[in-house]
Amino acid sequence: MGHTLLISGPPGCGKTTWICQRLQAHRGPRAYLRLGGFGDEGQQQARDGGIDAAVLQDRVDNLLDLANPDHALAPRPDNLLALIEVPQFQPPSASGPDGIDRRLIPALDAHHLVPDAHLHFGRDRELPAQDTLDFRRLESWWHNLSGTVWDPASLSSFWFELVNGAYGDVYRAKALFNLPDGRGFFFNWMVSQSGSQFEPLTAVAPPQGRPARLSRLVVQGKALASGGIETTLSDCLLSDAALELQQAALRLPVPQPSAAS
Amino acid sequence: MTHAVMSCLHANLAALEAVLADIDQLGITTITCLGDLVGYGPQPNEVVELVRERAIPSCQGCWDEDIIEGLNSCECSYPSQLAERRGHLAHQWTADQLSEANKVFLASLPMTLRRDRLLFVHGSPNSQHEYLLPDMDAFAALERVETAGADTLFCGHTHRPYVRDLRDGSIRVRIQSSTDHTSPAERQMPLPVRRIINAGSVGEPRHGNTNATYVIHDEETGSVEIREVPYDLERTCQAIVEAGLPPVFAWRLSQGFEYAERADDASHVCER
Repeated sequence: MGHTLLISGPPGCGKTTWICQRLQAHRGPRAYLRLGGFGDEGQQQARDGGIDAAVLQDRVDNLLDLANPDHALAPRPDNLLALIEVPQFQPPSASGPDGIDRRLIPALDAHHLVPDAHLHFGRDRELPAQDTLDFRRLESWWHNLSGTVWDPASLSSFWFELVNGAYGDVYRAKALFNLPDGRGFFFNWMVSQSGSQFEPLTAVAPPQGRPARLSRLVVQGKALASGGIETTLSDCLLSDAALELQQAALRLPVPQPSAAS
Repeated sequence: MTHAVMSCLHANLAALEAVLADIDQLGITTITCLGDLVGYGPQPNEVVELVRERAIPSCQGCWDEDIIEGLNSCECSYPSQLAERRGHLAHQWTADQLSEANKVFLASLPMTLRRDRLLFVHGSPNSQHEYLLPDMDAFAALERVETAGADTLFCGHTHRPYVRDLRDGSIRVRIQSSTDHTSPAERQMPLPVRRIINAGSVGEPRHGNTNATYVIHDEETGSVEIREVPYDLERTCQAIVEAGLPPVFAWRLSQGFEYAERADDASHVCER
């Protein structure tokens, strides 16, 4: 007997964090699916470029990705906890599964999913109270950074400028960035919270060229200066030669202390 | 005699005009400039020409040297690739804008200026690129002033104004005679009070707000006043954008941040 939950709420309300904690706490098999929102519901603002799924795959061992047809159509193991994330601004019209937006039904059917519960941030007490922002009036901009590696000191300067208003009024920014030593970092910032969240991914790539993992930057705000962001990005990302220079030093064997004679 | 000392103008005409107006209304006629007339800011020719017109004695800053000596006499001081790229862009833009006459003027500036026991430098007596930060090791700071033969050292470069008195300094020496092999003689020599006065920055303040800073020093009493002068910041930010420099320069200036971060190593000296 498994359990399938649909979790909805506005972008930035804490859906992914809550989902991650639930999945990590579950002792049996676990699965995740993120469905897009709808145009009249601010789908553009809710776009995350796959960052949430990539972070969860990194944090939760053996997480079944229900966006993968092989997983979606395979027989479900016993005691499976399947969590479905949906960006949704308006509170549901009814409580429980009856409040699921009817437009989601075809996507749920395609993945052979029938939620037995529906929780919405801001409505259901099972979920933590969060400061939710109205993202419907915001611009959304995202940039595919796959295959890029950052100069770490430049990344620090760029993020500081981004979240402090150098490129427009940023309300939300989140990203997955690669560093030369093979580490990946999840960056997350919201205007309503103090400070940024910087979390290393558990999977570390060898310091040999460019990691194959997903890398994205997603920004929501007003009067975003996307041209300025792109100019700064190009000044922060390492060329092949600069990357090799940094990684060559990391590949050197670490000297071992000589045995006492 | 009361005199004014300013530094790090960084091609910010509105800030320079405001500081000169403040000095003029105080009735001070002796002004010394510690260099970095240009760099990052949008009005390099206008700033150099105003300094020349007012016949303000100036020493050469690291940016003034870089513009003359070519890119980039101190690229090792950039702490990040982003800072280096922005520094190079600003360097190239400034070099393209400056008139030949103004380049000749910058090339003619001395490394140091001296008036009796007062020494004026951009960074330190050793280099235009060395930062004398307020928390620098006391002995190292004392060594810079003492070696230069000065009682008071005026510097800039850090963009943060401060006054530091170096008291209670002493040197202990142990002398072993080549003929007398008994215990070596030990002597302790007290050092007189030395002082470092950092003038902050006119054109690129980073001391916590956006006001231009400079200092007033009374040679008779030794008193020092760090002056903060508000200026038309919006005028400079608009000039940055109109000049085609990166808009992020205007944002950084408007927040009181440096255009590009400096190296964290306080004792950094370019080994070019």
